[in-house]
Amino acid sequence: MFNWVEGLVAAAFALGLSAGADASRYDLGRTPTTAEIAAWDIDVRPDGTGLPDGRGSVADGQRLYDAKCASCHGTFGESTDYMALAGGVGTLASDQPVRTTGSKLNYATTLFDYIRRAMPFNAPKTLTNDEVYALTAYVLNLNDIVPAGAMLDRASLIAVKMPNRDGFTRQHGMGSVRGTPDTRAKACMHDCVANVRVTSELPEYAKGSHGDIALQTAHWIAPQAPASGSAAAIATAKGAGCMACHGVAKGVIGPAFVDVARKYADDAGAEARLVRKVEEGGSGVWGSAPMPGQAHVPAADVRAIVRWILGGAGD
Amino acid sequence: MADPMKIRANVVGDSTEVKVLMSHEMETGQRKDAQGKVIPAWFIQNVRVVHNDKVVLAAQWGPSVAKNPFLSFKFKGGAKGDKIRITWVDNHNDTRTDEATIA
Repeated sequence: MFNWVEGLVAAAFALGLSAGADASRYDLGRTPTTAEIAAWDIDVRPDGTGLPDGRGSVADGQRLYDAKCASCHGTFGESTDYMALAGGVGTLASDQPVRTTGSKLNYATTLFDYIRRAMPFNAPKTLTNDEVYALTAYVLNLNDIVPAGAMLDRASLIAVKMPNRDGFTRQHGMGSVRGTPDTRAKACMHDCVANVRVTSELPEYAKGSHGDIALQTAHWIAPQAPASGSAAAIATAKGAGCMACHGVAKGVIGPAFVDVARKYADDAGAEARLVRKVEEGGSGVWGSAPMPGQAHVPAADVRAIVRWILGGAGD
Repeated sequence: MADPMKIRANVVGDSTEVKVLMSHEMETGQRKDAQGKVIPAWFIQNVRVVHNDKVVLAAQWGPSVAKNPFLSFKFKGGAKGDKIRITWVDNHNDTRTDEATIA
C-alpha cells in the first residue's frame, strides 16, 4: 500500500515537472485551476500536514465499516483475502510476520490518507472527512490502539502512536501480504561499471517512422466562447486533428493548406465542394493517399476551417 | 489470561447472527522451532455460547483450527439487548469468557 501512495506522489511530481518543461514543445495540457489542484491535493503526511477538519467516533466508524468495508475486510478486519486490517502486532520481526494495516503502518495519518484516497474500493473518494475520521478510528480500535469510546480529530489522530512506528521496512513485497519484492534496488557502491555504454537502441530504419507525434496528438482546447478569425480556425483545425496529415505551409501526408488555397483561388464553388470532401473523405486530387471522412467534426467547424484555408490559411 | 474476544451479535430476521474473533495461538504440536524442537500443542478444545442461560452452541475443536479463530453462526431467537456469553477452554485448561449484547 505504501508503494501506491508513494507512486502517486512521484507520478504527480513527474507530471508537474514535464508539463513545465515540455508544455511549449508539445502543446500539451494546460494550467490547472485552483479548484482542480485543491481536489488533487489530498495527501496527508506523517506529521498530520494536510489533515482536514472533521471528527469521527469509533461507534460511527463501526456502523460505516459494517456497511461498506466488512464485506471485503471481514467483520473484525481479519480477512486476508484482501488486506487484513487488524492483528499481527508485534510479529513483524518473528519468523512468521503477519503484515496488516495495524501491525505494519508507522503513522496513523497514513491510514487516514489511504482511506480517503482509495476506499471504498468500488467508490473511492465518496466518503466525507467526518466519515474518514470515523473509519480511521474504528480500524485503530480493531487493533486495540484507541479505546472503543474514542473520538478522533486532527489533533488526536496525530497523537496516535502506531505499534510499528520505528520498525518500518521495505525489504518485503509491498503489493501483497506474503509477497517478495521484485528487486532489492540496492545502489552499487563499489566495483561499479565506470562508463555505462548503451549497447542497443532503436534501429535507424525504425526511427521517426511515426512522424512528429506532437502533431498527431489530440490537443486539449479550453471551453470558450467561439472566437473568430484565423487563430480560431487554426485552433479548430488542430483540435479536429487536421494537422496530423496537413501542414499549413508544408504538406505531410495530405497537401499543405497554402497549396489548397492556391489551387482553388479562382473557384467560386470550391467552398461547398471542399466542405463535403472533408466530411465524406476523398482521394486522387493530391495523390493516392485517401483522406478519411471527418464526420466527428461539427459542420460549423468544418465550414470555418475550409473558409480559413481558402482565404489563404494565414495567421 | 488471553486477550479478550471480539464479539458481534446482530438480529437478522428471526435469528441472531454471531461473529467472534478469538485471540489464541492455536499451536498444532506439529511445528518445530529453529532448534528443531517440537513446539508443544496449545489449542482451544471447547467452545460454549450461552444465550439467556441456554447453550446455543457447543463445539469441540482440535489443532486444525487456525490461529486467532474466527467463528460465525446463527441461532433462532434472541432479541436486541439480550446477552450472549462465550467461553473457550484450551488444552492448558486456560479459559476465557466474554460477554456481548445483541444489537
